[in-house]
Amino acid sequence: MKKILFLYLTLVNLVFAYTYDDIVLKAQASIFPKIILLDKKIENKLIDNKIVYTIIYDKTDHLTALSIESFINKNFKGKLDKYEYKVNLVDFRDFSADTEASAVYVLNLNEQIDKIAKISKQKGIISFSYDINNLRKGLMFSLVIEKSTVLYLEKETLFTEKIDFVDALLQMVQFIEKDLVNRKLHNSIESKTFYASLFD
Amino acid sequence: MKIRTKSLSRKIVLLIAVATLATILIIFSVFERINKEAFHNVEKEKAHLVLSTIEPLIAVNMYLSLNNRIDQLTKQLITNPDILAIKVLQGDSLINQRKSKEYENEIMDSFEVKSDIFHPSSKKQIGTLILSYSNKKYNELVDRYTSLLLKVLFLFAIFFLIFSLYVKKLLSPLRAIASLLKGYSPEKNISIPFDNQNNEIGFISSALNNMQRRITEYSEQQKNINKILEEKVDEKTKELRNQLYTNSLTGLPNRRSLLDNISKHDDGALLIVNIDDFKEINDFFGQAVGDSVLIAFSRKLSDLISNVSEVNLVHLFGDEFALFFPKKPSRDEFIRFGKQLIVDIEKMTFYHEENELTIRVTIGGTYQSQEAIEKADIALKSAKKQKKEFLLYYETFNVEEQYKNNMEWTRKLNWAIDNDRISTFFQPIYDNKTNKIVSAECLIRLIDKEDKVISPYFFLGIAKKSKLYSKLTKIMIEKSCQYFEHLDCDFSINLSVEDVLDEKIVEFITQCIKKYNVTNKIVFELLETEGIENYEEVSTFIHEMKSLGCRIAIDDFGSGYSNFEYLLQLNIDYIKIDGSLIKNLDRDKNTQIVVETIVNFAKKLNITVIAEFVHNEGVLEKVKELNIDRSQGFHLAEPKGSITLE
Repeated sequence: MKKILFLYLTLVNLVFAYTYDDIVLKAQASIFPKIILLDKKIENKLIDNKIVYTIIYDKTDHLTALSIESFINKNFKGKLDKYEYKVNLVDFRDFSADTEASAVYVLNLNEQIDKIAKISKQKGIISFSYDINNLRKGLMFSLVIEKSTVLYLEKETLFTEKIDFVDALLQMVQFIEKDLVNRKLHNSIESKTFYASLFD
Repeated sequence: MKIRTKSLSRKIVLLIAVATLATILIIFSVFERINKEAFHNVEKEKAHLVLSTIEPLIAVNMYLSLNNRIDQLTKQLITNPDILAIKVLQGDSLINQRKSKEYENEIMDSFEVKSDIFHPSSKKQIGTLILSYSNKKYNELVDRYTSLLLKVLFLFAIFFLIFSLYVKKLLSPLRAIASLLKGYSPEKNISIPFDNQNNEIGFISSALNNMQRRITEYSEQQKNINKILEEKVDEKTKELRNQLYTNSLTGLPNRRSLLDNISKHDDGALLIVNIDDFKEINDFFGQAVGDSVLIAFSRKLSDLISNVSEVNLVHLFGDEFALFFPKKPSRDEFIRFGKQLIVDIEKMTFYHEENELTIRVTIGGTYQSQEAIEKADIALKSAKKQKKEFLLYYETFNVEEQYKNNMEWTRKLNWAIDNDRISTFFQPIYDNKTNKIVSAECLIRLIDKEDKVISPYFFLGIAKKSKLYSKLTKIMIEKSCQYFEHLDCDFSINLSVEDVLDEKIVEFITQCIKKYNVTNKIVFELLETEGIENYEEVSTFIHEMKSLGCRIAIDDFGSGYSNFEYLLQLNIDYIKIDGSLIKNLDRDKNTQIVVETIVNFAKKLNITVIAEFVHNEGVLEKVKELNIDRSQGFHLAEPKGSITLE
């Protein structure tokens, strides 16, 4: 089944969708939910006592979103530390200020990024982006695999009282400046092979 | 460590050196220890600081499973030359480890510090971080510190050595002064230098020089005082010697002088002269007149013997003088001398105001020098007793035998008291009208070991001398009262003045007569002569006893100078006429007159008269004829151990 699903995804991607780096996707799916717990104000972000991890995607990436959901559930088995969590898949066109989310993970989108960033900032939602370029538009975190795995944080997104990360996280992340994004993206391709084995 | 040195300066210097060494060692070891620990703590803190700095990063990376980043971190850390090895444990499993070459080759000494890795948000322990930190900097610090400390301590030691030497130099004048003072004496002045120094040594030197001057002056004064004192002591010694060997009243040599004199001679003869009844002169004319008579007598006696060679006149004490003959005259000459002396002394006349006083003397002598004073004294006492004017020791009645006899009787008395051999005998007293026994006189007897009844004549005098008399009185009182407790008959007990004057005996009598309820039966017989001599005490006793219901008899009435007024005042109940008046009553007209007078007087005073010593029928008839109330004597009944009432 798994193989069929991957085969299908591969085919769809080949036809319509943006081509995602599977290693990066898995790395992000492994690390981003954990980063939510490093927010000292996590209690304010619970919805019905649950962490809601909302994946925002374009309809062409629905399968990718499903595969990420499946990976997260398989990896975390319904609990992030002491909190229960729920993975919520939302089409970017449906995303509004009313959408339930403790954190949002934005897949590759060509539009609406500013809106998502704005709502996230207003509501204090932690935002993760697959694409480091989206940090330029106001999303918070992204992860790039270079020689090692590097977490990037868009500095300006920290100026909100609704999010307060542990200091150690801030020490280990790379704060991003908007003109560096492209360069980092380029370097990450070289490291892919090295980190492929990490998530086998 | 005991420092054996006599020099104070050397001692001070040595003590400073020892103290310095000890101080240096203590400072060195304490500082070394404290600072090593401090240095080590600094290094430890540095290691901990590294741990605390990287722990949150490693924790976040471990939490996010970014092991490659952990590896990057450890790689960066190991570049620090102080960090020799790093271990990162997740749970119990080692997830990352790095070691420096120095660590692997064990080139460098190190210590290990550990830190727990906590979950970034929940703070649960998720791993352990172990750091091996190099001791290189610590060792460098210790070496530098030790080197510096040793340099400082060396300088310190040098300073103290110089200081010690300086102290020694400062104190050296004291040694010089001490050495000079060793040979000091008040006669030998010494010059102490350093008194021009303006410091403590200068002050000491100056003070010592001043002190030396004062000691010399004081020594001179003391010498003069001592000389005066020695003279005074000699004077006083002579005076005391005179007082010791001279009678202060007459100025004649005293008893001690006589003893010395006797001891210096192998032979000699001694006379002791005692003035008879000298007490009467003192009592009548007063002590001062008595003293003046003694002084005059001593002068006259000195004059009397001034022509006789080799006779030493001595004033023994009070009214007693002695004449010692170091060269013995012949016995006849000696006796003649003594007797002539008596005659000459009797011729002496002394004057007090308009009164002429004459004295008589008794002389006791010994012709032996051994224990001369004691022997002459015995002779004197024997002469007095025998009422002789002069007696030589060899003529006396075996005095030693008398003493032996006294001791034997004292022993017998003690035995009799201890063994209840003091017994009471009773001699009845008859009423001359009814011829019936109305009373009995209780008489003391001693029953000896052979059950022989001994008369008090033999032991009463001894008892008085040997302090056993009061015991005998108590026995007599107790036994007599006990005997007459249940007999319907009066009884009389003889009491001496010693008994009446003894408060304890009087108290005993009072208790005893009350105990046996014989206050109305008992009659106390008191001697007439003794009663007159101690009138007040006897009067008190009579008054006391009469208040209890007892009666009083005057015994041996008529033997002395019978004083009727005295009888009147004493309020007595009975008169017992002395035996000397009764024994010849049937033949002697004079005694009949005396007795008649006594009886008439007694009748007027309502006093009962008793005649004792009624030894025959003729006397008894005369007694009755003279109207005497009662009779007692061997003719009527002898004393016996019990009495039978008719």
